[in-house]
Amino acid sequence: MLLDIVVSGLISGSMFALLAIGFSLIFGVARIVNIAHTAFYMVAAYCIFFFTQRMGLGSIISMLLAIVMVICLGLLTYRFFIEPIREHEAAVLIGTIALAIAMQEVMLLIFTGDFLSVPSLVGGFFSIMNVKIFYQQLLTFGAVVAVLLALWLMLMKTRLGLAIRCMAEDREVANLMGINERLVAMATMGISVGLAAFTGAVVVPLTIVNPFMWMEPLIIMMAVVVLGGLGSLKGSFLGAYILGFTEALVVFLIPKGAFLKGSVALSIMILVLILRPEGLFGIAFEEER
Amino acid sequence: MLLEVLHMSVFYDKAMLLNDVNLGVDEGELVSLVGPNGAGKSTLLRAITGLVARDREISKRSTGGEVILKGKIRFAGEEIQGVPAYQIVKRGLVHCPERRRPFREMAVRDNLLAGAYLKRDRVAKASDLEKVYTLFPVLKGRSSQVAGTLSGGEQQMLAIGRALMTEPKLLCIDEPSTGLAPILRKEVFTKIKEVSLLGITVLLVEQEVSAVFEMASRNYVLSSGRIIAEGTAESLLKDEVIRKTYLGL
Repeated sequence: MLLDIVVSGLISGSMFALLAIGFSLIFGVARIVNIAHTAFYMVAAYCIFFFTQRMGLGSIISMLLAIVMVICLGLLTYRFFIEPIREHEAAVLIGTIALAIAMQEVMLLIFTGDFLSVPSLVGGFFSIMNVKIFYQQLLTFGAVVAVLLALWLMLMKTRLGLAIRCMAEDREVANLMGINERLVAMATMGISVGLAAFTGAVVVPLTIVNPFMWMEPLIIMMAVVVLGGLGSLKGSFLGAYILGFTEALVVFLIPKGAFLKGSVALSIMILVLILRPEGLFGIAFEEER
Repeated sequence: MLLEVLHMSVFYDKAMLLNDVNLGVDEGELVSLVGPNGAGKSTLLRAITGLVARDREISKRSTGGEVILKGKIRFAGEEIQGVPAYQIVKRGLVHCPERRRPFREMAVRDNLLAGAYLKRDRVAKASDLEKVYTLFPVLKGRSSQVAGTLSGGEQQMLAIGRALMTEPKLLCIDEPSTGLAPILRKEVFTKIKEVSLLGITVLLVEQEVSAVFEMASRNYVLSSGRIIAEGTAESLLKDEVIRKTYLGL
């Protein structure tokens, strides 16, 4: 039981971390609340389904293709749809909800609402203390950790990473240092959507693909971001694992309680908003812009 | 003239913040811009370094009020009033903003490297970093410390150091002494004088008139968005009206 909870918590925590960090990244840099974030994750899952099941391509190639395609889609929607309304917060919020629903409807048209699935990349499992651990779970977890590490190195060691950190803290001063705001925002959008796509790619074998699969992770991702503090990557990371483990606890400890996991996440979100609105590591927003 | 501001007027949502301002800074000078709170000193610096133009772009795309920028800014012989803020640094004009605004979550060293963002040469970056550390030894000892944990005086040194990392010809500093204890103010002013002695032209905005008049070669007095007097400290202090009404000396 304990090991079950640990395995499940680590895996869902990692997924939430990837999603929430991508979401926080573009919020921090460009103040865009991208509700369509998990819709890109859904599109990536469909891409992989399409490439592997309908076109018979290999899994790895399909994953790469899916990520590249979703990044392109993300950049196009950003450039032509989000960027023109960027300075208008309410418009961005409504616009990205519309974007998510549009993507859902397109998938519904192409693939219908059927539940689809993609087989595991690697079969088999091993057991520790009577708990089955599938190699696919291990692979997913490993890939997530690798990507998080790469992201951290990118942020701390590269020029783009420096620009992203500057922008996240003070957009005006970033301009004064010669940082091209538009380009960095664009690059960040690419990375953010890329992370969503990657999450979709690694989660596909563990979940069911359908056009509505973006809603549940969206809610949990929001809860993670509120818990960790809006715009804080560290907060998103920790918040993701806290909610991941909470979810695992609810699923395993409450008999037939799996349906409660969404409401537990939301309850945590509401509690945080009441008790500590800035979250664990939230930044107090002084002068915006 | 290294910097020339010609007939500059700035409106934010129909409020006139600057009214037909003319100002010039020669190479190697240390020029001060003084005046009461709300006179438009910061707005003038923001207009020079492209931040007002940036506000204008933002206001066009949001529901915020309209921003209007009139007049010309000439820097090193070229007109720059239409150049976006992030491209102005490249030309050697840098702005050390009001309230210092370090990147609080980043290490001191990363803050300084942000100033060298446009430079790609690692060796040059490292040597510039050393230069700033020589000028501000406090920063060297705290190089891996997060900037938000520095004291106000250290944050000001950091902000100036970060601006120097861009290798400016003209450094505009906005109210460096605000919120600092008297001893620290003195230290900050000494450092600014040192910077000026390095051959960097300085345009200094301050409220602390007496300290600034001692070091600046020329001064501008700004009030309600207009330049009302210009000259050396002596000539300004001779004028009874200006001395009492605007300088409070």
